[in-house]
Amino acid sequence: MTAGEERGRAVGLSQLAEHVAECDMCRAEPLPLEQCAAFLSSSAVRVDVTALSQDTLRRLQPELARRARAVLWHRVTLGVLAALLPLPAVLAYDAYLLRLLYGLASAVLPAAFATYLVVTYAAFLVLLFGSTYAAIPLLVARSITPHHANQG
Amino acid sequence: MAADEDLVGHLANGDDTALRELLRRYERPLSAFIYRHTAGRDVEDLYQETWLRVVRQAARFDRTRRFSTWLFQIAVNLCRDWHRRPPPEPHPIADGTAAPHELGRVESALDAAALLSSLPEAQREVVILRYYHDLPEDQVALILDCPKGTVKSRLHNALARLAAVVRAENR
Repeated sequence: MTAGEERGRAVGLSQLAEHVAECDMCRAEPLPLEQCAAFLSSSAVRVDVTALSQDTLRRLQPELARRARAVLWHRVTLGVLAALLPLPAVLAYDAYLLRLLYGLASAVLPAAFATYLVVTYAAFLVLLFGSTYAAIPLLVARSITPHHANQG
Repeated sequence: MAADEDLVGHLANGDDTALRELLRRYERPLSAFIYRHTAGRDVEDLYQETWLRVVRQAARFDRTRRFSTWLFQIAVNLCRDWHRRPPPEPHPIADGTAAPHELGRVESALDAAALLSSLPEAQREVVILRYYHDLPEDQVALILDCPKGTVKSRLHNALARLAAVVRAENR
């Protein structure tokens, strides 16, 4: 037997006998079971399975990459949509907080300094929101990749 | 070790590690099945096409089913389509419709592969799945989408034909 040739799985007598035992027609006309089993077992498969699988893997890489991209984008879209849902409420609450902060600050500080404080805080909030939404794709990608990393 | 059905889930996400593992598990039985079904012709194309369909349809795979059954169903359908294609050149054994007067000539050159090729497609599939892959009749019926009784009768007809060949060779 060469590397690329595999003898057929030995077809056991018991497998054929099992069928004959249940088959009225086969029982009526006795079959040369031993010879039949030997005959079927002589079938050889000449395939280099390793090369076959490697070629298959190579051929399917673009399809796998396409699927991985599609899944990533699907999850990113869902993640961003889910994160956008509470955004109006969060913005409204922040606007309320900023107004409150400006009222308190302007009561004890000069108006220009109070404005500076509130604008700085507002800029910090914008930066925080921006970073949060920018992190969504990264988090989604990370949630997909551990399986690759663990098994690689 | 991950179950086949879980690996299909990963495959649907484009995970090439899952595909490698499934290939490792099924490369021998699947290639042998295709080889015997087509008498060794176009094995590579059919093998790759089978896995391509697995990858494309992985997201729709019903995880309550056995992966092996699904895989072989795909392979069976592809092999059937392959047999319906007009052959590139005449093949005296593979069409399975040898007239009785030709039978002697065919049988003189018979080996197990040629006999399989000469069996009608339905019988050939049953013999390969039941005897070479040792699948129970229930699963063979599932793969071929036919009643268990049909599997039994096809097995009987195939065995009867095989017995006739063996007897003829012994004469």
